[in-house]
This record gives sequence, structure tokens and C-alpha cells, in this order.
Amino acid sequence: MFFNNLKIAFRTLVKNKTYTTINIVGLMVGIAAVLLIYRMVSYELSFNKNFVHHDRIVRVVGTDPGDVSEQNLGVCIPVAAMRALRTDVPQFEKVARIRENWATLTVPGETEGIPKRKFSMGQDDIAFFADPEFDDIFKLTWLSGNNVSALGQPSNIMLSRSWAEKLFDNWEDATGKMVKIDNFIPLTVQGVFEDLPYNTDFPLTSLISYPTLELTQHREYLGLAPDDSWNSCSSNNQVYALLKDENQIDAANAVLANIGKDGYNLAPNGKRKTHLIQPFSMLHYDDELQNSGRSRTPYRSIKILIFIGILILLIASFNFINLATSQATQRAKEVGVRKTLGGRPAQLIAQFMSETALIVGISLILGMVLAEFALPLLQYVSDVPLDKPFLMESNIWLLLLCIFGIVTLLAGLYPAFVLSSYRPVEALSKNIKTRSLGGINLQRSLVVAQFVVSSILIISAAITIKQLNYIQNQDLGFKEDLVYTFSINTDSISLGKHTVLKNKLNAISGITDVSLNSDQPISSNTWSGNFRIEGRSEDETFETSYKFVDDNYHRTFGLQLLAGKWLAPSDTFQQVIVNETFIRKTKLGTPEEALQKKVQVWGKYYPIVGVVKDFHTHSLHTAHQPLTMVSRKDFFWQVGVKMTNQNIQGSLASLQKTFDEVYPEQVLNGQFMDERIQKFYEDDQRMSALCKGFGLLAIFISCLGLLGLAMHAAARRTKEIGVRKVLGASISNIVSLLSKDFILLVVIALFIAIPVAWYMMSQWLADFAYHVDLHWSIFFVAGMLAILVAFITVGIQGFRAAVADPIRALRDE
Amino acid sequence: MIRTNKLKKVYRTEEIETTALNEVDLHIQPGEFVSIMGPSGCGKSTLLNILGLIDNPSGGEYFFLDEEVSKYSERQRSNLRKHNIGFIFQSFNLIDELSVYENVELPMLYTKVPAGERKKRTEELLEKMNMMHRKNHFPQQLSGGQQQRVAVARAIVNNPKIILADEPTGNLDSANGDDVMKTLAQLNQEGTTIIMVTHSAYCSEFGNRVVRLLDGQIVSENTIAKYRI
Repeated sequence: MFFNNLKIAFRTLVKNKTYTTINIVGLMVGIAAVLLIYRMVSYELSFNKNFVHHDRIVRVVGTDPGDVSEQNLGVCIPVAAMRALRTDVPQFEKVARIRENWATLTVPGETEGIPKRKFSMGQDDIAFFADPEFDDIFKLTWLSGNNVSALGQPSNIMLSRSWAEKLFDNWEDATGKMVKIDNFIPLTVQGVFEDLPYNTDFPLTSLISYPTLELTQHREYLGLAPDDSWNSCSSNNQVYALLKDENQIDAANAVLANIGKDGYNLAPNGKRKTHLIQPFSMLHYDDELQNSGRSRTPYRSIKILIFIGILILLIASFNFINLATSQATQRAKEVGVRKTLGGRPAQLIAQFMSETALIVGISLILGMVLAEFALPLLQYVSDVPLDKPFLMESNIWLLLLCIFGIVTLLAGLYPAFVLSSYRPVEALSKNIKTRSLGGINLQRSLVVAQFVVSSILIISAAITIKQLNYIQNQDLGFKEDLVYTFSINTDSISLGKHTVLKNKLNAISGITDVSLNSDQPISSNTWSGNFRIEGRSEDETFETSYKFVDDNYHRTFGLQLLAGKWLAPSDTFQQVIVNETFIRKTKLGTPEEALQKKVQVWGKYYPIVGVVKDFHTHSLHTAHQPLTMVSRKDFFWQVGVKMTNQNIQGSLASLQKTFDEVYPEQVLNGQFMDERIQKFYEDDQRMSALCKGFGLLAIFISCLGLLGLAMHAAARRTKEIGVRKVLGASISNIVSLLSKDFILLVVIALFIAIPVAWYMMSQWLADFAYHVDLHWSIFFVAGMLAILVAFITVGIQGFRAAVADPIRALRDE
Repeated sequence: MIRTNKLKKVYRTEEIETTALNEVDLHIQPGEFVSIMGPSGCGKSTLLNILGLIDNPSGGEYFFLDEEVSKYSERQRSNLRKHNIGFIFQSFNLIDELSVYENVELPMLYTKVPAGERKKRTEELLEKMNMMHRKNHFPQQLSGGQQQRVAVARAIVNNPKIILADEPTGNLDSANGDDVMKTLAQLNQEGTTIIMVTHSAYCSEFGNRVVRLLDGQIVSENTIAKYRI
């Protein structure tokens, strides 16, 4: 019986080629989209699961008292707190301090100061200064010299396999050799561990023994706070721990709440910093707390992806239901005959389900092939590595089986029941109507649902595109064009050559300005602290952020002074520049009036010598904040270079040459400002690309369904169209006759989609401090687009029907 | 009113070529009631379709109201059709989705008759056809005879100069068939030209001329002296 069903199913599908093709193409595209989404979701969900103890690992984080109203979570742990955490929490089996570091590792050469090899860690690599307990917690795989206790002694380093190979060609040769951090801090290689997989948030190049940090000369170089400091900390200092039992998080949190009670100062808002636990399983998904990896993906984004996947699969299944029910009348006679001959409903259902299963099966195979071809497109929306074929994905067979089962049931069950429920006498009668079977309303509802989803995605895409254009064309308050920035070291030797570098760069003909500074105008870094205005009794209740800049910063980055003058050349604090928001929030009056005032920074008062027009210091997600700019030479770990637009490649080559001459031990690791700025909006661009991509897919699948229905409507109404033509109907009469029902459905869908999209996109835009308004024209244009696409789809069918020969339609035989 | 000159229609499929009409010369005067007869497949319906401007001849000339129309475009033919020709079919070809009233009104929508006038004419005709009480019914709720009466009303609502009827009584019993034929004869007496395809010798006697076709050619033309009313 099964093979008989399959054989008949196959014949039926071959007979109705158009119907079969539309169904298979729609389902294939839908399934391919779901597989691509699965690839992204499974990749994101696989993060950090490779560690043996992953469910017992936690990170200790801090709650910063923050501003008056809010309490911010932060990852930084002061050095003194680290010490307490190692001993005072009984629920911790092991505790490891780490300090993140993005160093240049060098292999010393024969000539002093010029290394044999040098490699700098970009944003995607990291080194940890770590305690030996780090390995107890994370259980690395050791290739050689698993002498983990060496991490307890100063000046030791463990390399990852790939970095050992970079530095020494063969990892086997690395152990026992010497490498240097920034060609300055010497370390002995004590072991090599296997590279951590791509799906961890530890892109570790090396582990450096934590006590290395405690040597005085290194502490100064790395700018560390003194050991006993509770009230100064860097987000690079973090603590990981292994719980004795994974269920002890609450107990540990209770203990943590008391740590630092005597150490931390009270903030102006009366609160004190405390600690709590972030489960390691949240490291990749936390909105607020940064990690050491390449990216974070909030659960919200993963849920959106899964939701889009389900919607697309639903839309594709709806097509199937619609086309199958619209075909129902044509199959009625067959049903009537089969029932008359003794076919039971269950047998008929089995037969119709076989057809569905066959279509879903074929679509599934084609969908997998399509997904494999479309895989490279994922790079626009995700970090997912693209080298693994789909079938190697874990659980992929289970997913395929689920899709097969769910879609077959979802798409096939209703039409099968409708068809098999015909009474033979009704089914054999010539006048059977889809209308009488309740199929029409269902079809209409499903078409509306499809277009609601498509329209929401299309409107969202339009709004994200508009917002991204707005961001890109927004005046940031500084000039990012042709400004190249790169980092430099600030150890005492490098510091001594800063001016040499600056002068040499200034001498290059394609370079107009050079500035040494702590940070470019816009960045994700924040230095901030309390401050006081001279003559006031208390610190302000809000913080100011700081930038440490030289006398040429404003020219290099094109900042606009509103009053006063720029900072005079100086190695240390002498004067300050503030921005408009600073004087507005501190109520210092006009920019000119503010020039008379002094600001207390780190214990001493300095005069405001200039007020600069507000410029964006963070992405457009954040509003302007008070900003103070001062000069401090030992914080100049970045260089900004303004170039002319002539022979940029030549200028870059000269810059590289100059850098290598001045700092032969360092690696030039630079980028143009506009590329850096783009990075801030990577997530937003991905969101936009997702909406665009899946919006187009959704509308494509919906239109396929509409095409099928329109073809069917035209076929069903052939006689009517013939009569109308004979009576004098024009082509446009017929086209509008066939299209208006469908267009009405799309219009209804728009009325539902627009408020939903409005709400969703206001939520999204609320995350930007500066954003476009949700003007009605966006909705109008997107709506018109949906109507136009639908009209073209059904209109073409209408046109074909309208120009067909009416005699064929009216012939009785 | 209608003149064809060596009118030809050839149907081609991949393998065979069938000549449905072979050099047909036909002349019909205003006010005539012509019955076209002949065995199945002789080309009756093809001739009627070409005369009704819903099909194109493969060759020859066709003069409709003294104009050569065989090369007319679909738009021109549609225009000529909706103002001058009414159709009655064997299977009625009413639109199932429209009510009796709407079916009759439909041709006037295409000739852009004002709403008031449409209402007046539709109701008049439904009265005349004794179908007013059924005006809100749908075709499938009517008997065959009633459906054909509605179809006749629809065919004449635009006051066409000519009515083409393809086996108008073929799906009706004799009483209903008689009614329809009487209506046609009445219309003819009022001045409408009628061309009717029929198998029935009885029906043909309602007309004043019988044209017999065989294998796509006119084999005889007889004038009938008296009306049977």
C-alpha cells in the first residue's frame, strides 16, 4: 500500500507540474533559510561548551555604584579584591586571577633592540596573565611541558600551538626558548597547549605567569595599580572560579556580597561596589558584561533568529496548504470514485499525506543543496565559520527529520482531511465549490498571515537601512576622513622616542597633522571619574569622561573650538579642555564664562582653557556625555595621522618605513578611522542585513503562493473570463477582476503589519540616542512596494487569462 | 449586414491539419433569421464564432456592417462586439458568482451605460422574461429554462443589431425550448437579425433561411416561407 501510495503520489505530482514546482520551490527556499538560521544558532549556542567543567565555571563581576540612578555591572576586579576572592569564598574550589593583555610577542634577535620575529595581537587574539589554577579550571590540552606550576613563578609563558608555530616554526621547538612582551619583558616558554576552538570566548595566544605582573619594573610598564588598592581597577583584571557544586551560585553570591565592605569607598550616591557571580554559560550571551572573545550574542538576537526561522517555515507551509486546498475541487472526482469503490478516509488521508511527504522530501534535499550554496552569504550576518559542510553539523539529521515531520504534518494534514471528508455524491457532482468546503476563508487568512510577516520584515529592513544611512551621514563633530590611527607602546624606552616618531611623521609630504593621544575622538573605551568645580563644596553627582591628548589633537581630528584656545604642549596636566555638555551639565554658563573656572582632576585644580563643540565620543547609541581633555604623555598609546588624499598608498608606505625605523621591535597595527567607526555598527548592519535578506525571502515565498493561487483562480474562472470577454470586457477589466481580491488581502495584511512594525522598530530605534523619526512615508513606501509586488505577481496571471482565447473557455466539450 | 468571401478556418496541431471552414461565402441581410445546420464537426460553431468576432478566420474576407473586420485587433473586435452582437449559448454560460440581476446588467457595465439606465433596462427585461421574482438568485438555483431566459435577457440588454445563438435549446426540454425559440422569433420580428446554429429541424423552422454545412462548406441554402408562431 505504501509503495502504491508513493507511486500514485509521484504520478499526481508529475501531472500537476506547475503546482508541484511552486510547492517545491517555496518549501526548498524556506528549508534552506531554516538550515542557514540553524547554522548560525547552533554556532552561537555551542560557545564555551568545550571545557570539561563548563557548568561549574563562574566569573566574579562587580556592581559599580555608577550614577545616581543606576547600578552598572562591570567585569573589573581591583587587585586587593582579587586577593580576598582567592581565600574567602568557601564555595570556590579553585580561583584564578587573570589580566587581559594584547601584546606584541617577539623572539629576541642577535642585535639588541631588533627582534628576530614579532607578532602583535589584534582585536581577535588575547594573552592572559594567569594563576596556575587557570588550568585546573579550564583544563587545557597540553602538547608539551604541562608544567602548569610554572605559572606560579614570574617570567614564564605557555604558548598556544599556533603562536608557538608562528614564533618558532615548530611548536616542538618552543619549550625552553625565550620570548619578550613588546620586546621588553623577557619570558621563558614552559609549555605549549592546543589551540582553543573557534567557538570559545578565549581566543588565547598564550598564558603568562601572573607573578610576572608583580615585579616592580613590569608593574610600572603595564600601568598597574598598587596591590592594596580597592578603589581603582581595570576591566582587564578579572577573576574566574570553579564552584565545588554547580548549584552553589546563590550561596557564593551571599558570601560575595560581604567582600570589600571595608575596602570600597562609598560613592556619591551612598552605594558601595559589591560582587556577584556571572555563570560561565552566560559569558557569550550577556548584554552588559564584556568578555575576552571576538563577539557576544545576546539571547534576544538568537531568539529573533529562531523566530524568523519558524516564521519562514510557516510561510512556506502555508503556501502548501493554500495550493493543496485550492486544488481540492479538481481532486474531488477522484475522491468520489475512490470512496464509491470502497476507499476508507484513513486510506485517502494516507494517500494525500504521501504526496505531501514526497514534496517535502524533495524540497528538503533541494533545500540542503541550496543552503550549501548560499552558505557564503552568512558572512554578512554572522561570524559563523563557513568551512564545515552542513551534513557535518551536529544534530543536523535530527533537525532534518523534525522539519520533514513537522512540515509534512502542518502542510499535509488539513488538505488531506478536507479532501478525504468529501461525501461521494457531493464529490462526484459537477458543481462542487471550494467555497462550500470552507477552504476559501482559510486560504485568505493564510495569505494575510504571510503578507503580515513579509511586510513586517520589509518595513523593518527599510527602517534599519534608513537609520544606518542616517548614522553614516551624521556629522560626528570631527573629521574622520583620511585619518589613520595606530597604537604605540608607552614603556620608558618607547616613550622616549614618541617625539622622534612625531617629528619624522610630520616630515612625510602626504601627512598634514600628527597627534599623540590616548584615544581617537570616537571609541568604545571610556576613562571616567568624579570631579569637582572650584568653589563648590562637593563633587558633581555625575562623572566626566577623559581623553588624554596632545597640542595637535584638534587639528588632526578637526574638532571645533567654541571659546578659548587649545592645550599648550605639555607632558603632564596643566590645563583642561571641556565640551559643551560638560558646561551645560555643570551649569557653568556660556563657553566664554566657563573659561574663568577651574576643574579638580585627581586631587588638583586646573583651569579650563578651551571649550570644544560636542562631538560623538561613542557610537550613536549613546548621547553626548561630559568630556574633559588633558595632556598626559605616558598615556599616549595611540597616534592619529591626517593625510592628504594624494598618493595615500605612498604615505602609508612611508609611515610604515618610519615606524619600523623608530620602533623596530613593534608591529604597526593601524586602521583608517572610518573603518573603525564602521565596526561600531557591525551589529546594526547585521540586523539590517538579516531583515533585508529574510524579508526578501519571505516576500518571495509569499508571492510564489500568491502566484499559485492566482493561477488557480484564473483556471477556475476560465469560463467566467470567457463570458465576460465575449460580452466586451477589456484586458484591464479582467486583470482587475482577478487581482482585486488578492490585493485586498495584501492591504488587510498591511493594516496588521504596520502597527506591529511600528512598535518593534520604535523599540529598536530607542536603543540609539540619535535616530531617524518613524515617518509615515517609510510605511507608505514599504506598503506600496508590497502591493506592487503582489499586483505584479497576480496581474501577470490576470493578463495571461485576459488575452487567452475565449472560445476555448466556452467550448462545452 | 454580414458578408463573407471565401472564408477559411484551418486548425493545426503538430501532426494534422483540419479545415473547419473551406471558402464559405455567406450573405445575411438585416432582419433575417438564419439557421445554420449540419452534422457534428461540420464547422457550424466555428462559423458562428467567426461571425461573432470571437475567433479569427485563417483566410478570406469578412464584412460586418460593410467593414472588413477579419484583420481587426482584439480591442477593435471587442468594441464592435459589445455594441452590436448578443450571444446565446447552449450551456447558458451565466457567471456562477453573479446573481440573475448582475448577470443581465454585466454587458452594460462594459458599454458604460449609466447606473440609472442599467437598472431600468435590467428590470424591464427581467419582467419581460418573467424572471423578476428570481433576480437575486444565483444561476445554480435556477432551472435550465430559467437560466436560458436570463441568458437571452443578457444577450439583448444592449440592444444588439444581431444575436448569435449556438444551439440555444440543446440543453432544454421541449417546453422550455419552445419558449426560447418564440422569444427569438419575437425579437426577430422586432427587427433583430438572428443567426442560430441548431441540430433541430423543428427549431430551424422558426427562421426564414436554413444554411446547411458539410465538411466546412455550404452545401445548400433554403428559404422558409412561413413563420411558426
